[in-house]
Amino acid sequence: METVTWLLFTIGIALILAKIGDSIIERFELPGVLGELIMGMILGNLVYFGLVSPHYLPIVSGQGFTTDITQISEFLAKLGIIFLLFLGALDTDIDQLKSTGVTATVSTVLGVFTPLIIAWYALMAMGYPSREAFAGGVLLTATSIGLTVRVMMDLGVLKSEVGAASLSASVMDDFLGIALVIFAVGTGSLLNLTVKIVAFFVITGVIWWYLVDYYIKFAERLHVEKGILGMALGMMFLFAALAEGWFAAAIEGAFMMGLTLSKLPEGKRMMDDVRAIGYGLLIPFFFVHTGAMLNLTVFEHRNALVLATVMSLIAVIGKIIGRGFGAWITAWGRGRSFLTTRENFWMSLQMGIGSIPRTEVALVDLMVAIQGKAIPPKDAPDFVAATLIFITVSVLITPPLLKWAFKAEIEKAKRARAEEKIRRVQETKERIKELKGR
Amino acid sequence: MGLEETLETFHSLKVRAVTPRPDSMPIVEEGTGILDVLKILRTRHHVWVVEDRETMKLTGVIRYLDVIDILLPPEAHRFRLGMTGRTMKSALGGASSAGDVAERHPLTINADATVLDALMKMKKYKIQVLAVVDDGKLVGEVSLRILIDELLRLSRVGGAQWKP
Repeated sequence: METVTWLLFTIGIALILAKIGDSIIERFELPGVLGELIMGMILGNLVYFGLVSPHYLPIVSGQGFTTDITQISEFLAKLGIIFLLFLGALDTDIDQLKSTGVTATVSTVLGVFTPLIIAWYALMAMGYPSREAFAGGVLLTATSIGLTVRVMMDLGVLKSEVGAASLSASVMDDFLGIALVIFAVGTGSLLNLTVKIVAFFVITGVIWWYLVDYYIKFAERLHVEKGILGMALGMMFLFAALAEGWFAAAIEGAFMMGLTLSKLPEGKRMMDDVRAIGYGLLIPFFFVHTGAMLNLTVFEHRNALVLATVMSLIAVIGKIIGRGFGAWITAWGRGRSFLTTRENFWMSLQMGIGSIPRTEVALVDLMVAIQGKAIPPKDAPDFVAATLIFITVSVLITPPLLKWAFKAEIEKAKRARAEEKIRRVQETKERIKELKGR
Repeated sequence: MGLEETLETFHSLKVRAVTPRPDSMPIVEEGTGILDVLKILRTRHHVWVVEDRETMKLTGVIRYLDVIDILLPPEAHRFRLGMTGRTMKSALGGASSAGDVAERHPLTINADATVLDALMKMKKYKIQVLAVVDDGKLVGEVSLRILIDELLRLSRVGGAQWKP
């Protein structure tokens, strides 16, 4: 019984610290998730450094700390991932995705595969096995749109061609990042895995796409409290179980269920309830739990630092080159004559820089890769450290880089605002003159 | 007619019979500016957004509470997975038209459904207004205000009296 007491204590502390950390970091206009990770890191290292017994703070697992109770907190964190992905998919605007242009599509594909392939080969060159190196590459694939959107909004360029394309590309990035992790954690022959993947997406993405409407109508007829939410979550867990059973990636099931529900008004209406469960409990716990996995003693060895440096460099350069080049070769649909222009270069560079930030999906992929043993337990601390570092680097360098890349647009907007002010002052002066004349 | 009978009649009414004509409803096209939407929301609790007034294809709804998201600066929102939809509605963040701030996929009900069906749907999804559609085309609306009016009208016609 006493262990349950300490588990409840840990959940309570984790949630309170998560919300405080989130609030503090948001004040610096950085993603609140960093605050939650830092709080988790502090909690975890109280245990790693022997300041608190793991018995009283069962939030760290692996590295010799795994017990029955820590497995429960690990499972809670896993539920957090499932809800995060379900919510992310529910929030997706499928119609917007359907209207995605060529530039966003090409730049997404290149923006995903360039860092993936570079990291895959770089990590293999560093001595990591192919499967683990591939998993490391997958961590770098998905962009976190949140920070880019915020900075672009601040700069007043979100509605620009680059802003709109960045938005679409980042949503697609997430899709690919989430899908690719299957290849990292999936086991068996490539043919077997491919068959399972195709079967899974046919069931959850095609057949279910047409059946979900009937299912929700059936749920409506049950006339029970939160019946529709319960039925939707029930099906989400069934999909998650299928995905976990087939390729050790429960998130795929949650994501597909969210995506199919997102096309229905009934699905959108349940978002507030899902948000309450997700962001009120499970998701912050997942981030704190992930932060707690960062054992600072890992930096006593060179490996973690080298891995972090390599992954940070690839995260930044791979995205700028991949997505930027993808945008550049399409010439933004303006024909060949635009290809070699200065404008095409700058727009493509802006697109590339906008894709640098990584946060949630990278952490989700990391956890899936660790739990699916694509990243073996012995290397997990290094990858946790490297991921948290490249996430921090990516969110810190993006705002100033975006400001630099959009400096011409910012100047133009400033000039337009100044001219507008001058025009208004002149109009007022003329009006005063006119009134005096009367 | 007693209250029980009035309510029974009321529940069995077709939505078609109580819905107002589209020309008396708050409807804007996707390209309508946010300020024009806000002008309507001074006196109405929602605005329907249609592709254009000729086809009347329903694309979304802007509710009274959505005004909060429109008026708040972007930094007041949290930019996290599953929350970007709300953030994008900020006028300072670049949203400028009804299409930008509308909630896509509004809940709808068929014109041949009954008032009881409409009430059940409102209860399940905790909303006060439903779009009445026919093949994706907005043909009316049913709101709590409309339903109250209709019930009171029925009560007067049938001579029902509310007991204190």
